[in-house]
Amino acid sequence: MRVHVVEDDVGVSDSLGLILMNLGHEVLSYPSAEKLFAAAPPTASDVVIVDLSLPGIPGGQVVRWLQRLAAPPRIVVISGQSQGAIDHQLRGLDRIVLVRKPLDADTITSVLAAA
Amino acid sequence: MQDASDKGAPPLPDAKTAEATPPTVSEARLLSVLDTAADGIIVIDERARILIFNKACEKMFGFRAADVLGENVKMVMPGEYAREHDEYIGSYIRTGVKKIIGIGREVRGRHSDGTVFPLELSVGEAQTPEGRQFIGILRDLRPRKESEQRLAELQSELVHLARVSAIDEMGAAIAHELNQPLTALMLYLQAIRRAHAKGVDIADRIGDVLDKAVGEADRAGHIIQRMRQFVEKRDPERRLCDIEPLIDDAIDLTLLGQHHRIRIERRSTPALPPVMVDSVQVQQIVVNLVRNAIEAATQALEPVIRVETRRDGNSVVLAVQDNGPGIAPEAMAGLFQAFASSKRRGMGLGLAISRTIAQNHGGDLMVDPGGNGRGACFSLALPVAAADSDAE
Repeated sequence: MRVHVVEDDVGVSDSLGLILMNLGHEVLSYPSAEKLFAAAPPTASDVVIVDLSLPGIPGGQVVRWLQRLAAPPRIVVISGQSQGAIDHQLRGLDRIVLVRKPLDADTITSVLAAA
Repeated sequence: MQDASDKGAPPLPDAKTAEATPPTVSEARLLSVLDTAADGIIVIDERARILIFNKACEKMFGFRAADVLGENVKMVMPGEYAREHDEYIGSYIRTGVKKIIGIGREVRGRHSDGTVFPLELSVGEAQTPEGRQFIGILRDLRPRKESEQRLAELQSELVHLARVSAIDEMGAAIAHELNQPLTALMLYLQAIRRAHAKGVDIADRIGDVLDKAVGEADRAGHIIQRMRQFVEKRDPERRLCDIEPLIDDAIDLTLLGQHHRIRIERRSTPALPPVMVDSVQVQQIVVNLVRNAIEAATQALEPVIRVETRRDGNSVVLAVQDNGPGIAPEAMAGLFQAFASSKRRGMGLGLAISRTIAQNHGGDLMVDPGGNGRGACFSLALPVAAADSDAE
């Protein structure tokens, strides 16, 4: 499976990429929403992992953009923010798979299976 | 005074009179005044012998009047004064140069148990038929010193409390900041664990991944360190400091977890003279100002805050400017008052405490409220450390 990771934190992005590759996935990493938008859009068979607090365009906007694609990919939102801040960003969005940081490999495996 | 008779100091006419005949009306009145006075009163003659030692003095020094009348007043002074005192009197009598007469000053007294304590002493002199006499009025400064000490302690507690409160308000942001390295650390370790479990040969990569894991643990440690330094209880301590790195550290702390969308323009001035400050307290002011500025600036389309330093006469000035809507005129009156904040969060102590800290350092915290399209600008002025000021 192809997994896109939109995460600005270098450590989180790198380690997440490593574990995803370990799990046998193809990994594409983007440090910002803008970089994701500039690349070839994900397809319906892909998974996009989006961090909510991104520099520039926020993660919530990325989710909206992805959902409006003709063939939207599966989406997993990750965040280390408070529940209040998360709710604020995701207001009006439903069927969101959310994982709060810190993340671990088992959680990632199970949400990728569920997404 | 009656006690003077017990002493039987021969060269003291007053004492003899008191023994021989009942006091006259004015004498009786004087005695009553002396013993009613809340302040200590000591009268000495030109040779520094004690003529009067009132009840307040007995309490203050722990000597009975009977034990000191006729003695040299040195006996209620600590060594360093006692050695010089005869010379002081002699010098005054010879030269007429007043060093203490007519001027109040803070001195130290010695209690009969040897304790040395602070006193406020004012001295007057009287020409009498029996020669020149000096009258000392003494006030025990211990209660005042104690209350000053207590006040300083309370203030330091409050300053600390405000710091803890600031960290408390930043709690969610700091949790977010800690989550990043913890996530990375966990994933690196689990990646190694999985590879190992599956028997994958990772010998060529394991060193690299472990280095990264250590780097992430280090990053988490730094966040904790930065916070801990800020919230730990400590005694105020002033040192000669270069203000720029203090400001940079405080900005870093403030930005934990909330750097998105805010642009910080940091302008420093080369070769600013050092300031004599409590670094944590100054950082507390910076954290407070930058947090306020961020909050105000987020109301702008493109939030920007500018943090700059400059020298202004004998002060080093830190200005924090935001591009928010400015401060409403009705909010100006209570701006620096505790608990007057209009903010939902926090105790509204930030600016009140910041200004108190600035003033305790001999500086001040001022505001240009802005408005009409201009943001607010807070300026913290701190005096240049003595050796570096223009006055030297």
